[in-house]
Amino acid sequence: MIALTVNGRAHRLDADPEMPLLWALRDLLDLTGTKYGCGIAACGACTVHIDGVATRACVTPLSAAAGRAVVTIEGLDPDGRHPVQRAWVELQVPQCGYCQSGQIMQAAALLREHPKPTDAEIDAAMAGNLCRCATYERIRAAIHRAAELA
Amino acid sequence: MNAVTLNRRGLLRSGAAAAVALSIPVALPARGLARNGDALTAYLRIAQDGAITLITPATEMGQGTHTAHAMLVADELGVPLSAIRTIRVGQPSEPMRRPPGEQSTGGSTGTRAWVARLRTAAAQAREVLTEAAARRMNVPVAELKCQDGAIVHAASDRSIPIGSLVREAALLPLPEKPALRPAGELRIVGRPTPRLDIPAKVTGRAVFGMDVKVPGMLYACARLAPVYRAELDGFDRASLDRIDGIVDVVPLPRGVAVVAENSWAAIRGAEAIAIRFKPTPHDTLDSAALSQRMIAALDQETRAIAKNEGDVEAVLRNAAKTVEAVYEVPYLAHACMETDNATAQVTAEGVTVWAPTQHQDWALAEAARAAGVDPSKVTIHTTLLGGGFGRRYASEVVGQAVTVAKAVGRPVKLFWRREDEFAQGYYRPAQVARMRAALDADGRLIGFWFRAAGPSTVAEFRPNAIQPNGLDPQQVASVADSRYRFGAFRADWVRVDGPPRNWIWRSVGASQNGFFLESFLDEVAHAAGQDPYRFRRELLAHDARALKVLDTAAEKAGWGSPLPAGRARGIAYMESYGSLCAEVAEVSVGADGVRVHRVVVALDCGDIVNPDAVEAQLMGGVTQGLSAMLGEAITLKNGAAEQRNFDTYPILRIDRAPKVEAHVIRSGQGWGGVGEPGVPPIAPAVANAIFAATGRRIRRLPLTAEGLGV
Repeated sequence: MIALTVNGRAHRLDADPEMPLLWALRDLLDLTGTKYGCGIAACGACTVHIDGVATRACVTPLSAAAGRAVVTIEGLDPDGRHPVQRAWVELQVPQCGYCQSGQIMQAAALLREHPKPTDAEIDAAMAGNLCRCATYERIRAAIHRAAELA
Repeated sequence: MNAVTLNRRGLLRSGAAAAVALSIPVALPARGLARNGDALTAYLRIAQDGAITLITPATEMGQGTHTAHAMLVADELGVPLSAIRTIRVGQPSEPMRRPPGEQSTGGSTGTRAWVARLRTAAAQAREVLTEAAARRMNVPVAELKCQDGAIVHAASDRSIPIGSLVREAALLPLPEKPALRPAGELRIVGRPTPRLDIPAKVTGRAVFGMDVKVPGMLYACARLAPVYRAELDGFDRASLDRIDGIVDVVPLPRGVAVVAENSWAAIRGAEAIAIRFKPTPHDTLDSAALSQRMIAALDQETRAIAKNEGDVEAVLRNAAKTVEAVYEVPYLAHACMETDNATAQVTAEGVTVWAPTQHQDWALAEAARAAGVDPSKVTIHTTLLGGGFGRRYASEVVGQAVTVAKAVGRPVKLFWRREDEFAQGYYRPAQVARMRAALDADGRLIGFWFRAAGPSTVAEFRPNAIQPNGLDPQQVASVADSRYRFGAFRADWVRVDGPPRNWIWRSVGASQNGFFLESFLDEVAHAAGQDPYRFRRELLAHDARALKVLDTAAEKAGWGSPLPAGRARGIAYMESYGSLCAEVAEVSVGADGVRVHRVVVALDCGDIVNPDAVEAQLMGGVTQGLSAMLGEAITLKNGAAEQRNFDTYPILRIDRAPKVEAHVIRSGQGWGGVGEPGVPPIAPAVANAIFAATGRRIRRLPLTAEGLGV
């Protein structure tokens, strides 16, 4: 049994400790907002927060998340109204949307560290999150906007 | 097919169901009003509470098509956008049809193909609702207006919400040719409108194919042959004995599916299984050999001639000056962020599939084939797509999911690992082109020969698109039909097959032909001693519409005005999918590679529905095209792809994304596409800017392979 907290709720999972957190969230806890993109931490689609730190769930074994607090896109804000989410809607960022859970989680972590990030800080924090629709220009603008909304 | 008869049948059906809703079919191209029980491919239904359900034929993959459709319907009808409560993709329309139909979303048609049809259906609804209100109020129809969800009689200050007119309206015959609202009455169409699919995409609620869950479902991960087209030879089930949660292994034509209780066990099994594939004739082939074959083919005779005006060979022989160059582009992967997947349930009653598909009819046909059932027994639910770009016309994965679900007797979600997504083909084919231009003594272009060689795009994708002379029109697309006046002009192609399966990739043939033609024209302009923008103007002097596009891009970019040291501009123009597009790129080349600082786009797509979505599509098209140019290539070694994940197939990241400035020209000259036309001009615009900055001509992509990487 692996105990962990996800979006404020305590869970005990009977699962392979080597199972990446990504698949535990998606298959065992029905939290499908966190996405599979590459499986090797090369695209950022699976980004969640573990104890507040943006983390790639696809390469994080359940054993490493045990006893820690995980936040997914579903739990970022109880009403889906986190400043990053509001800015994302206001500036109409997503296209297909598949990568956007990861983008939003990464951006939210960035803003916690740098409440008013520069473009260089945005590049540094967000360069690991791929978007095949190439919504990058709006992502950048929306991070600046979220900094104003926060 | 007689639309009136079918309309009446549709109304009879509504009437028989106690007229609880007004259902208006949307006319389908060429085939009239197809129907499949309750699941018409496209219709709108107005309930008694005024809530509107829109069943659209088009797939939503991020282009904003569903919102555009809702905007068109709401505006024409006279209801607020919020009245459109539900938007779903319809079922393939005529499953009994042979050959299968074409409910699909591609070719940048998602909005433009449906503008008139959706507006007509909405206008039909408005007219019967208005007629019903006229009867109830006992006033002439001409005195009534449908606005804000009600039929309004201004003279008597009375209004009736449309929902409460549904019963009566459903009994009236639909007008065959309803009057569409004049442009001045439209309040939604043409104005930037927030997309209806976006709120769910920022909270994790949006359901993509990978997110589908069916009670009792198992997870299956494919393990497919690394060598293209290699067939399964055998596998050792016992090699998975030590992995918990494995349920079964099901053979597939090119590999196996490992079925498990969860995705992780399925992936572990797919990675660990001992598996053998049969040899192929191309087990030792690599990209260099294929490239040599394509280059050699440039000198072959060919029947696949798209255009042959004037005697271009004689003109080249007698020209004051000639320019010749050979260009080459690699295979490209779509690299959709969501890997291929489908969920299937096979029961005695029939087959149900949930799939992120761009082609519902092909998905349906493949499901029926795999299950061995009549197509009428198959239901296709279209989910959201984590990227499309042409990739999801492929229905192979649907067949795999159905095969496995049938074999294990439970619902199955089958998905591909990223490694198979990159390795399994479905590529924009590699291609080479040799171009020759003839200039007269005054530096005017008097002859042009475009000769491409390489694999066919459509030979497997849509074989009947190959012309009787063997030509794949995609290999000369946007060149053979260019508005440019080249003088004597020949465009032809030599087919050279390679092992990977080729497919359509955002802007298809134009994706490479833009780079070929527009880079070469830049070379010709310089050889003629002319400014590349002015040179193109001369070739388009007869065409005011094209000139306006070219001029808009040049003016907005400040063509010819000074730039900071180290920066240079390049220009390119190409027409594709009914839209004319010119781009100017502002570039610098430094120690850290090529930087694209700004891209100005001018697009004439005739007219637009949602300006904000158009801007987003241009930004995406330009940046995706730039991504391909900078670093993307699938290369072959020993008959297999060398790239298996994003670490070796680098797609562009935020730190290299340029500022894209879009200028849309609403010429009113027919509806053009938006998703694709922004792609073809970007690579040549950047390559031409690199030449302007450094004097180095880029004739091969990607730039990383040319030592100009990011």
